[in-house]
Amino acid sequence: MPDPIVLLDHVTKRFAGHIAVDDLSLTVPRGVIYGLLGPNGAGKTTTIRMILDILQPDSGTVRLFGEPGGGRAHAERIGYLPEERGLYRKMRVLDVLVFLGEMKGVDRRRARERAGEWLERLGLADWRLRRVDELSKGMQQKVQFISTILHDPALVVLDEAFAGLDPVNAQGMKDTVLELRGKGATILFSTHIMEQAEKLCEQLCIIARGRKLVDGTLNDIKRTHGGQHLVVGFDGSTGTAAQVFADPRLVRQLVASGARLSRFELQEASLHKIFIDLVGPVRGDARADEDRP
Amino acid sequence: MSKVGAVIRREFIERVRRRSFWVMAMLGPVFFAAIFLAPLWFARGGGLKRIAVVDRTTTGFGLAVAVGLESTRGIFVVRRILGGPGVEDSLAREVGARHIDGFLLVSDSLFETGAVEYRASNVSSLEDIALLRQSLGRVAENARLERAGVNPGVVARAQVPVTLRTNKITRGRVTGESAGQSFALAYFMMVTLYIALLLYGVQVMGSVIDEKTSRVVEVLVSSIRPFQLLLGKVLGVGAVSLLQFLIWGVAASALIGRRAVLEGQLTDRGQDVGQVFQLPHVSLATGVVFIAFFLGGFALYSAMFAAVAAISSTEQEARQTQTPVTVLIMLAFFSSFATLANPESRLALALSLVPFTSPIAMPARWAAGNVSGIDVAISFALLMLGTVAVTWVAARIYRVGILMTGKRPSIRELVRWVRA
Repeated sequence: MPDPIVLLDHVTKRFAGHIAVDDLSLTVPRGVIYGLLGPNGAGKTTTIRMILDILQPDSGTVRLFGEPGGGRAHAERIGYLPEERGLYRKMRVLDVLVFLGEMKGVDRRRARERAGEWLERLGLADWRLRRVDELSKGMQQKVQFISTILHDPALVVLDEAFAGLDPVNAQGMKDTVLELRGKGATILFSTHIMEQAEKLCEQLCIIARGRKLVDGTLNDIKRTHGGQHLVVGFDGSTGTAAQVFADPRLVRQLVASGARLSRFELQEASLHKIFIDLVGPVRGDARADEDRP
Repeated sequence: MSKVGAVIRREFIERVRRRSFWVMAMLGPVFFAAIFLAPLWFARGGGLKRIAVVDRTTTGFGLAVAVGLESTRGIFVVRRILGGPGVEDSLAREVGARHIDGFLLVSDSLFETGAVEYRASNVSSLEDIALLRQSLGRVAENARLERAGVNPGVVARAQVPVTLRTNKITRGRVTGESAGQSFALAYFMMVTLYIALLLYGVQVMGSVIDEKTSRVVEVLVSSIRPFQLLLGKVLGVGAVSLLQFLIWGVAASALIGRRAVLEGQLTDRGQDVGQVFQLPHVSLATGVVFIAFFLGGFALYSAMFAAVAAISSTEQEARQTQTPVTVLIMLAFFSSFATLANPESRLALALSLVPFTSPIAMPARWAAGNVSGIDVAISFALLMLGTVAVTWVAARIYRVGILMTGKRPSIRELVRWVRA
């Protein structure tokens, strides 16, 4: 089995007064879209910051690409879109992209070319020499997304990537994520919106209060945690339905009742339901200071 | 390292592109010229008082006064009037109508006790009053000498004043620099250093706070070590300041090259310009000391400004938090006046050795006094040590602070960050 792209081994991070990440282990294999799910304050951003070498774990190890050295040592291969977006507001769009590309080890001329291509592709070519603060918010988000993937990273880390995107931009980002995945990149993204995770991720890990609750492939998690539900659709009055469901010999009854069956399928629980079941009701004291180092 | 290079380039290009940089580049020389040349310019004009002399003397002494004043540069006697009823009132009206500036009431008492009265619309110009008093004194003196049978010419010859020419010896050589020039140079360097340290230190602070509030810093520190980022910033802004100095230096040397023309234009009373202000000669060594201590001081203070920005969440907050740092720079500036007054004093020596004050005090002492190269080297070595120590602490605060949002950390938290 090839080395996982991200391997967290019993990682713990404490801040003054609380444990942000508690003995967390997880494995992100090569080439998958991996979701890091959890409510606000679960420790998602702290986990991501440790993967990226922005914070150092108090104990445990982080290993990337099966090689030694932290996230910063592998910066050339990692693209990172933080939860709180922002660009240099007074700089020209193209200059920002070239600079952030250089931070990722791309040489200046190459960064300029790539930035030009991406701006063209996302319809921002005319804005390349404008100042960032002249752009609309949606355009700024596109620019920031370009900066995340400009250097063709093998690992793309998106922290709450879809938060605050309008549907068109969100779809555009999803398409690009899938495209990157198609080219062999590994995507790690965090979210607290389960519908998105369900549509996108192949593997996931749910954490709450810094601890891992469950991880694995989406299908496995659904099978083992969701239970199964039968969905039956038929015509008939509600009285008929009550009668039908009262009887254990359901299907036979259904057929015998002469109802015209339109739907009869076994359905898995939604990820949303699993999430709520596992995490429990939202805690009133969900920490808002998750990003405090 | 190419990433540090990219940070340096970004800081440099973005700043030099700004209009404010070029405004500073243009206004700097104007500003400095104004500081030093304004006194000359303002001294010009004025003077030339149109006054009337009211003669109430019984001896005709008033005539001698009028003639004596007439020969004084800057005073123009309109007429002499014999004292009489209503004269003072009508003259007061003339002053009111601005036909004359004032009038002098001369009586015998000027000759005897030196008492005389001047009535004018403006009696607050110390310079004019002093001039008037001097002239009257001379007239009275001559009159008294004559009455005592002494030839005033003999007295005048006996009173030829001493002209003391000052000539500074630096490191055993006569420099041809006068006390005025040494002082002017030291003063000029102090003002420039003070302004530049504040100006560029605050720019580093602005750069840090900008990356922090825009959250760009999060992406940056996933690719570059916080210390490298800080280093790149300080070097980038430092390069901007050097360019600024280069522009100012060229402008200043052009100014000094035309000193004779300038001095001629700025003064028209034929007074000795050298006594008012002398444009100093700047040797290469002085330039090197200036730049070296500026860069050392800039590194020291900009590291502190960076730490201030790192623990602040907004620009406004940073501006409040920066007070201790700006106070330290002000302290360095104002205490350095002690080195101007006496470059050899113990205080001057101490100030030029302590890293926080030496960036301003040492260049000032160098320009004003006789400082050996060894002294400068020791002072600079201490400054470097201080800079390394301060940067070490500041970088540790910076490293943690740039990712913080919300409440400003307490001193105890800061200590913990530094120890971590």
